[in-house]
Formats: sequence, C-alpha cells, structure tokens
Amino acid sequence: MDPMLLRLLLVVGLVALVTAAGAVWRRRDGRVRTGDAAVRLADHHLEAVGLDLDGRSAGAVLLGSPTCTPCTAVKRILHDLEAERDDFAWVYADAADHLDLAEAHRVLRVPTLFVVDADRRVLARSSGVPAADELRRVLDEGEPLEESSAA
Amino acid sequence: MASQLARDADGRGRIDVRGPRFGATVTTVVLGAALVVQGGVGVGLVAWQWLAFAISTVFGLAWSPYGNLFRFLKRRLDLGAPPATEPEGPPRFAQACGLAVSTVALVLFALGAATAGWVAVAVVLALSALLATTGICVGCELHLVGQRLRGGRRGRSDLDTERSAA
Repeated sequence: MDPMLLRLLLVVGLVALVTAAGAVWRRRDGRVRTGDAAVRLADHHLEAVGLDLDGRSAGAVLLGSPTCTPCTAVKRILHDLEAERDDFAWVYADAADHLDLAEAHRVLRVPTLFVVDADRRVLARSSGVPAADELRRVLDEGEPLEESSAA
Repeated sequence: MASQLARDADGRGRIDVRGPRFGATVTTVVLGAALVVQGGVGVGLVAWQWLAFAISTVFGLAWSPYGNLFRFLKRRLDLGAPPATEPEGPPRFAQACGLAVSTVALVLFALGAATAGWVAVAVVLALSALLATTGICVGCELHLVGQRLRGGRRGRSDLDTERSAA
C-alpha cells in the first residue's frame, strides 16, 4: 500500500479512536455513584468546609476550583435543591484549600460532589455535572444504597 | 492583531468557550496533514503549529493565531454571542502542554529520530482531536490538578469557602 495512504488511514483511525474514548468518558462524567454505605465524611472535614448538618436530614459538599466552569452548573443544581427542601444545606469549597479532604476520599477532579446524610454517611458522590433528578432521588431515598455499583 | 479579552472581577481573561474547540479543530487538521505528508512539508507544518502554541502560551490567548481566526470568522459569519465564557487559564495551560510535546517532536526531528518525532506529533494530534470532536480538554484538567497542588503548597490565605444562605 502507498505509505501516504497508510498514514492517512492511521490518522483517521486515531481520530476515530479518541472520539470513541471521549464519548465513553462523556457518558460516565457526572454519574452519581452510590453504594459507599460505610464511608463517612469526618467531623473535622465538615467543620473545615463549614457544613452544619445540625437539624437537617442531608447536606452536600462541592469541591471546586476558581477556574472550573462545570462547577458553576453544579452550584446552580445545588441552589435549586436547597430552594426545594428545607432540610438540605450545601457548601462550596476550593479543593486547593481542603487537600486533606480531597486526599482522604481520593478526589482527582473538580467538580466533585459529596451528598451526606445527618450521620455524615456518604449517600452519593459524583465527579462532573450530575443529573439533578438523580440527586433528588438520592435525597428522597435518604439511605446509602447498599448494592455495589462500582466502576 | 490581538483583541482585548473580556476580564472577570479578578482580572482574569475570559474567552468564548467555542474558541478552543475551533482552535483544536485547526490544530487537528494541521497536524493530521503533517503526519500524512511527513518529509520537509510535514516538519514545516509541525514547526508552524509549535509557533502557534508558543504565541498562545507566552503572550496569552488574545494573541493566539487560531483564536484570532475564530474571532474573525465569528464576526464575518455572524455566529452570535458566546453561549458561555470560560477563564483563559486552563486552555492557555493546555496550549503550553501542546508546546512542550511539540518541542520534543522538533528536537527529535533535529536529532534524526524521525519516527519518534512523529509519535510525539501523534500524541498532540490525539489530544487536539479529542477536544475538537468531544469537547474534552485534557490539558485543562491537568491545569486544575496542578493548581490544586500549587495552591495547597502555598497555603493560600484567601479561603474562598462560601456558605449558601440557609
């Protein structure tokens, strides 16, 4: 085969490959993961980010950064949820200022969201922009789902 | 012919979110063509792309050749207002990543390691194509990670933890 044609096929194949990989990544982005029933956010971490769960059934911590564009979309969702529910509070925290929290829970990306119940148990977490209705479902259930939905 | 970027409250430049994706499409075409034709013309195309990365990295995205081409087309074709804007920092860092890898490619060409050089070009091509076709900017994600680590080491004083009104 003509080497230039072969290289053209390689380039087209490479572009197709990264497009497929990107589509898979996009589908996973923002997925709300449950099943971490045993995981709790530590008291001192909640204190550090300023989330007060007292008298509430659930809360959320959003880790972001000043230059993170999708963080704004997640903030809007949380703002709506808070308006709908009087027993829900959330805080935004710069991940750079809370590296111990980020490291304790292996946060690799911003925005990463933790939804916790009154006992600080992680009801759900997501990286990227989650679907608002999935968060509503998690808050309505109010229980960390036991089944493992890893990966 | 750099146009002034819009600034946010902290003085950071903000750009149309469509700009980087347009630029990545041009980069994909330039580097794709370079990989196909190779030889002197191919290396010349890589050198041009290196220059485009270098201008954006050193002088900022207001000076980016592809960014200015985008702004020109935007006016000509009346593409309308940006659907959203984003800070200049992450895409500029992504340009710096492209600059680093294409520098490696040019050094490898200069050393006569042509095959290795084209592999480096293919890496830049793959990341540009990813941004062009899916909107995922790997360099921008790396900027966030880097900033997180830098910010942590510096022990920033401006804790910008905001509490929503209960």
